[in-house]
Amino acid sequence: MTTPLDPTELPSAVPAAAGPPPVVPDHELIRPIGSGSSGQVWLARNTLGTCRAVKIVPERQSRQGSSAGEFNGILKFEPVSRLHDGLVDILQVGRNEAAGYFYYVMELADDVACGQTIVPETYLPRTLAQDRARLKRLPAAECVRLGAAIASALGFLHQHGLIHRDIKPHNIIFVNGAPKLADIGLVTEASGVQSQTGTQGFIPPEGSGTIRADIYSLGKVLYEISTGNDRNDYPVLPEPLGNSAEDEALLLLNGIILKACRAKPWDRYQTAEEMMLALLNFQFNRDHLRRKRNEQFLTQVARIGWPIIAAGIIIAMLWRIIWLLKHPH
Amino acid sequence: MNAVMTMLVEDSIPTRYSLLSRMQDRDDQDSWKDFFDTYWRLIYSAAIKSGLTDAEAQDVVQETVISVARDIQKFKRDRTLGTFKGWLRNLTRWRIADQLRKRTRSVPAGSNLSNPSTSLDEIASPVNADLEAIWEEDWQANLLEAAMERVKPRVKEEHYQMFDLNVVRQWPASKVAQTLGVNIGRVYLAKHRIMALIKKEVRVLEKQW
Repeated sequence: MTTPLDPTELPSAVPAAAGPPPVVPDHELIRPIGSGSSGQVWLARNTLGTCRAVKIVPERQSRQGSSAGEFNGILKFEPVSRLHDGLVDILQVGRNEAAGYFYYVMELADDVACGQTIVPETYLPRTLAQDRARLKRLPAAECVRLGAAIASALGFLHQHGLIHRDIKPHNIIFVNGAPKLADIGLVTEASGVQSQTGTQGFIPPEGSGTIRADIYSLGKVLYEISTGNDRNDYPVLPEPLGNSAEDEALLLLNGIILKACRAKPWDRYQTAEEMMLALLNFQFNRDHLRRKRNEQFLTQVARIGWPIIAAGIIIAMLWRIIWLLKHPH
Repeated sequence: MNAVMTMLVEDSIPTRYSLLSRMQDRDDQDSWKDFFDTYWRLIYSAAIKSGLTDAEAQDVVQETVISVARDIQKFKRDRTLGTFKGWLRNLTRWRIADQLRKRTRSVPAGSNLSNPSTSLDEIASPVNADLEAIWEEDWQANLLEAAMERVKPRVKEEHYQMFDLNVVRQWPASKVAQTLGVNIGRVYLAKHRIMALIKKEVRVLEKQW
């Protein structure tokens, strides 16, 4: 059964646009391609013919949050976004006060099937959630590569005083095959104030809104994509689990995930860079682990083997003595 | 899950109503969340095993929780009204029968499947017969699963992984130790500690409701 539904996890079967599309300068809005709690994302084309994603956020003041807060977050994120390859580029931000919304224009994710070839009628954005739905589990090496890229982007964001607050597979897109942090609707300044903003299962026990909370969320993402399990199953390891090289790699990655997702924030990686380094060291650690296991095996063999060898020598000597006694000449 | 169940010795503990009395205040969100988290699987499983679809079973879960909220005041400490376990089973049974009744109403008139003389008893009787057995089978398993979910965030993750492999998946301790690269003693220790916590948590859950 699907567990009690998290609305953000529903497949992005986007509702058809009602009425004429919103107006965004220099852009033709073609059709909606995604929706979230704060607004709708449209496939758009600019005057040069380049396809973009445009998010339309109605101005609102509600218990769930104010659009002014999101707008301020976008304004702070926009100049930072284009400085790191792991962050989705924000290309334009604006407001339509008469119509009661603000918008921001972003680079467009690859199409699930066609990559950078965009066919507006069939376009479906490629996200990590789509990859996971298709593949169930990603190889450990791929998880490590992706995790290091996102951890690097996250560290950059944190260095500029911003927190993401909603890291999850749906919010990691691919542009030209490279993973990028997207859906920055909840990006805010790092204030140390904790909240429950975000998505259930990716929010740490102490709440979101801190650097270590973002690290926890990234750890849960790595857990989902490396095990194929739901984040609420954490820390249960996947089935089947054996002695293959891939399972060995998974168990090594498991150590990194466990540290990222510790219940107590001070037990986690303290910075995203620290987590990134752990992931970059993955191959070295994998070789080290293989050597350590070989040494353990040899030690066990020696522990069992020496008594057997010694017994064999004694038996051989006794046999020789008995044979000499029987054949004195 | 059976392996874990056989390792627990269940004492007969009378149901207490301390948390139930809190549920009379429907604004007590934590209590309701607690109740839902503990029992939704049991209700859902009973509905599915009674022949309902996923959507129908989800409706049964919702409707049963609403029934509990509405009727909790009537459920008294008086033992002649039965245990909470039996009362919840009855509410679930009635909500399952409601879903089955909706099905017969939606069958077109004149079809071989429609029978105006079908009574509620005739709809409910297969539910009655099977639900008793299903409920008994699933009750302890549900409490156990709920207890494990509560214990999981309170123990070290590595220990829970050892416990899951050794007890739930029934791997030999030696295999767990070798796979996870740990001393076999740690596997036994993790198993012992977590089993003790789960046992305690099952008792807490039984006392709550």
